[in-house]
Order: sequence, then structure tokens, then C-alpha cells
Amino acid sequence: MKMSEQKRLHPIAAFINMLKQLKEMIVPILFFIIFGSGGIFYLIAVVVGLALVLLTGILSWYRFTYRVEEGELRIEHGLFVRKKRYIPFERIQSLDVSEGILQRLFGLVKVKVETAGGSRTEDAEAVLTAIHKEEANQIHELIMSMKNADLENETVTEEADDLETNIYKLSFGELLLLASTSGGVGVVISAVIAFFFQFEEIIPYERVYKEVEHFISNGVIFISIVVFLGFLLAWLISVIGTMLKYAHFTLKKVDQDLIITRGLLEKRQITIPLKRIQAIRISENILRQPLGRASVYIESAGGSALNEEGSKVLVLPLIKKEQIAIVLNPFLNEYPVSTQFKKAPIRAISRYLFRGSVLFIPVVFALSYFFNPWGYASVLLLLVAIIWSWFMFKDAGWALEGDFLTLRYRGFVKSTVLMRKEKVQSLTATKSHFQNKKRLATIEAVVKSGHTGSGGRVSDLEAKDVETIYHWYSRDRK
Amino acid sequence: MVPEPQTKISEQALVVWRISGAITSLFIWIVGGGLVTLGVLFDWPLWIIVGMIVLVLIYSYAMIFFFPKLRWKRWRYEVREQEIELQRGVFIIKRTLIPMVRVQHVDTQQGPLLRKYQLSTVMISTAATVHEIPALDMEEAEELRQSISRLARVADEDV
Repeated sequence: MKMSEQKRLHPIAAFINMLKQLKEMIVPILFFIIFGSGGIFYLIAVVVGLALVLLTGILSWYRFTYRVEEGELRIEHGLFVRKKRYIPFERIQSLDVSEGILQRLFGLVKVKVETAGGSRTEDAEAVLTAIHKEEANQIHELIMSMKNADLENETVTEEADDLETNIYKLSFGELLLLASTSGGVGVVISAVIAFFFQFEEIIPYERVYKEVEHFISNGVIFISIVVFLGFLLAWLISVIGTMLKYAHFTLKKVDQDLIITRGLLEKRQITIPLKRIQAIRISENILRQPLGRASVYIESAGGSALNEEGSKVLVLPLIKKEQIAIVLNPFLNEYPVSTQFKKAPIRAISRYLFRGSVLFIPVVFALSYFFNPWGYASVLLLLVAIIWSWFMFKDAGWALEGDFLTLRYRGFVKSTVLMRKEKVQSLTATKSHFQNKKRLATIEAVVKSGHTGSGGRVSDLEAKDVETIYHWYSRDRK
Repeated sequence: MVPEPQTKISEQALVVWRISGAITSLFIWIVGGGLVTLGVLFDWPLWIIVGMIVLVLIYSYAMIFFFPKLRWKRWRYEVREQEIELQRGVFIIKRTLIPMVRVQHVDTQQGPLLRKYQLSTVMISTAATVHEIPALDMEEAEELRQSISRLARVADEDV
């Protein structure tokens, strides 16, 4: 197969585009169906509309051609306005290969070409909706060989090792655990409601509501059951969704790229060039933390603004905390997974508690005042806020190891962010008047993630510690 | 203690900030005046009317005199060979380090008020953040823009 030939996508692409277009038009279509009056004109309009969609689908498929020429991927398309996009291979960051159900039926794949384009629109990428697998491989190899040729020119010593190493595979048990602990809030709420149902016998609901008698009592129980079932259903759906998405999850290292494959119905492949890694983020949500499990993400400079997945990639969906270092070390050996954290000093705790609860105090007062006596229950809310703030205090910490800064903090989820000095875009130390009095300060580091910033911020650390980090980052003040 | 950055921004900035403070105060005065008139017409309690006048006065004082002065006093920057350091804030003091190797581009920008006083704002962009130094003398801003671009160009391409 000659790659420089002008080629079209597999005809199924026309059909896929049509479906996509219909999906985008779902609102007007529904509107039409619901408010349509019936009759002959209605029918004609529907037929004409469908025919138009069909026609544009086919025509735009016909117009879409691609070829590989002079080290560029050249795409020409457009129905009325002819558009040409030539992407030089050096600008291609990665190829994302995925297989939807339709593609799978015909042994095809969808290839997304990610570039590091500065533009913040979806223009940062090109998509080949349906091409043969072998062709995708050919394009991939062509790009790789072109890039490697460039590399060899620069550094002759470095041999391109085409080694493929498996790093990690998600077992079925872990998949189950991942799925059942992913819809965080939903699980908690259904668990809490289920818990209260245990006490139904003990708490005399009938007597509690005796003013309004049976009606409300039955009503409340009925509504509780419906809400509970609703949550349970939503949770089950999210469990199944997550399982389909992350089934057969594997992480491999091929050459200088990390490659992730996952998915049961729709197979996806995500490529992260090692040198595009900006930071490593370890997340522990409230359900996984007690189980000693965490998720590991890589913040990467790739991806486009509309494709979040390209920038924050889940590389280890669910892993025992102590295993992270062991699994990642052979591949990201420079990144030290710290165990020695310096924490916020005890005198910071009042600031954490204040910040966490101050917004709730007026709410609690208002609820208690206006909804006597049930409003008093809102004190529980304050209690939760205080416990939460205490956890935020407890989790705040930092570590410096050579060229790496690790910040640990908690929002809803406990996050540990590992950043290399050269990849940190800017560092800010903040000190308010009150912090100054207590010799405390806040540190914030920003790394690039996709087209925006990400990073970490830890509040109320020892002012001296923040200075240490500031000095570490400064290049001129030694 | 890490020493403060040394360079101050233009003293003219103070004038510009006071003028823009006065303009926002003017709106508050109009709204406040309207409310006071309503209060007089509909016999609101005296304390509401007096309270409103006091609030408007405090607001104007803060926006025209207090904050611009403090903000100007705090604003410092320093451009060194390998990094830029900024310090700003009124009650909360922020200090930021931007390494030259991370600077992607530098812009200058000027609104009508700044132009009248021959000032402009310098915006420093990295791959993920934007930082600004407000109200520098025009020549100074231009010089700064060029020197940052020159120093930043030495840096390697890779993010």
C-alpha cells in the first residue's frame, strides 16, 4: 500500500458521521417530534431532513481525503469550503487509536492525531474516523521512524530500544473495586440511607410524626425508599460504566512512550511520550483511602483543550499505596515517591478549622432559627465540616528530594503531586497578615496540563519551610 | 527572610489607580445618592440614611486613598538573569518566581488611562500561567519586554 496516495476513509465513516450529526441535532429533532402536528407536510419535512443529513454525510466522506507526503500528514476536506490541513510529523505528539462498536464490526480503528498546537480549539488535532488497522500501524511506524531519524541526528549514542515492557495490568478484582468505589458521593449517600433504615425499628417514626400522623410518616418512608433506590440505580449504572471503560486495562512502555489500552466495548489506546510528562498526581478518594488504595495520574503537556483525557491520564487506576513506587520506579525512576513529608505545624490547625467551618456557621444558625426543631440537625453539618478541616490539616505536607518537589493537600480528594523543578511553570508564596503573625505561609506550584495549568497548593505551612521551597526553586538566589 | 525584590513600579501608577478608584466611587455615589433620596422621600429611619452615607464615604476613601497607596508600596519586581520575581498584594502578600526558561512570550498592553500617563502593563506568559506587572513607564516596559524576550530565548524549547 502506498502511503502517498490520496485515500478516503472506509465508507462506514460516512455512516458514523451521520449518526454524530443526528446526535448533535437531537434537541431540534425531539422538538419536532413532540410538537409536530402530523400530516403530509410534516412527513415531507422529516424525509427531506433525513435525506439532507444522509447526503451531507456521504458528500463530506467523499471530500475527506488523506495522504502521507513529504513527511507530512495531509488532510483535505470540507463540503463548501475546502480545507487543507498539513501536519508535519515532528509536530505530532501522539496517535490515539480507539475502536468503537461500529469500527470493530469492520476491523477498523479511529485514529486521533494529537499535536502540540498552540491553538486552544479542537484544531489542535485531526481525526481519521475509520481506517484499516494495518494502515493505522503503517502511519504510526512511518511517524516513529521519521521521529527516530531526527533523534539519531541529535544523539547518536542513544540507541532506540524498541523494547516493550508491561508495567501494569488491572485484575478483575481490582476492576470491581475500582468501579464500586468510583461514584464516591453516591455510594456514601446510599450507604448512609441504608444505615438509617437499619434503625427504622428502633426510631419510632410514627411517634415522631404524630402531629401529622400516618400520612407524612408513610410519605417520608416512601420518598426515602424511592430516593434510596434512585441512588442505588445511579450507582449501579456508574459501576457498570466504569467497568466497561476500564476493563482490560494495561499499561505498557514501548520505546519512549507509555501506552495505555483499555475498554470492553470501545477499545481505547492512549499514548503518552515520556518527555511530555509534567507531573505525577496520586489521588486517594475517601472510599479508597481506608482500603490503602490510590489512583495515579500523569499530567501531560499533550492533548487539546476539548480533550481533557489527553492531559490528565489515569495510569494506575487502583493500586495499593506502597506498590506505587515499586511499579513506577523502573520507568519513572527519577520521580521519588516520598514517604517523608513535612507537615503543617500544630498552630496552623485553628486556621484550617476556621476556613473549613466559617461558611457553615451562618447556615446552621439560619436553619436552626427558621426550622425549629429539625434545623438543629444542621449542627451535624458543622461537625462534618470540622472533621473535614481536620483531615485537610492532617494531610497538608511537602517534601523536597533533589530536583523534585512533592506537595500533598486535600480538597475533597487527597492529592499528592510530584513535580520536577524544570517542569514547574511558576511558584508563588503567599502570606497574609494573620498568617504572618503565626509565622505561616502558603505555597503554590503550577505545572502545565494540556493547555491550562494544574499543580498543587498547600496552605499554612511553616513560613520557614515555604522559604526553603522558594529558595530551592529560585535560580538566582543561592 | 528572603529579601524583597528591589524595583518599584512607576509612581504615576498611584495617580492612575486613584483616578480609576474615583471613577468607581462615582458610580457608588450615584447609587448611594439615589438610595438616600428614596430614604428621605419615604421616611426611612435616620440610621439607615446616615449608615449609607458613611459606607459610601468609607468606600471612596478606601478606593481612592488607602488601597492604591498600600498596593503601590507593596508592588515590587525584579528581573534577573534566570528568573523574574514579583511581589504584590495589600493584606495578602504574594511572591511569585517565573524562571526565564519557562517564559513563552511577553506582551505590553495599555488602556486609555494608562496611555494618558505614558504607562503600560507588561504581561508575562508561561505555558500555563499569565503574570502581569501593572503601570510601568512606557520606555521601561518596552525595555523590560525586550530584555525578557532576549533572556527567555536562550531557554530550550521543550515544555
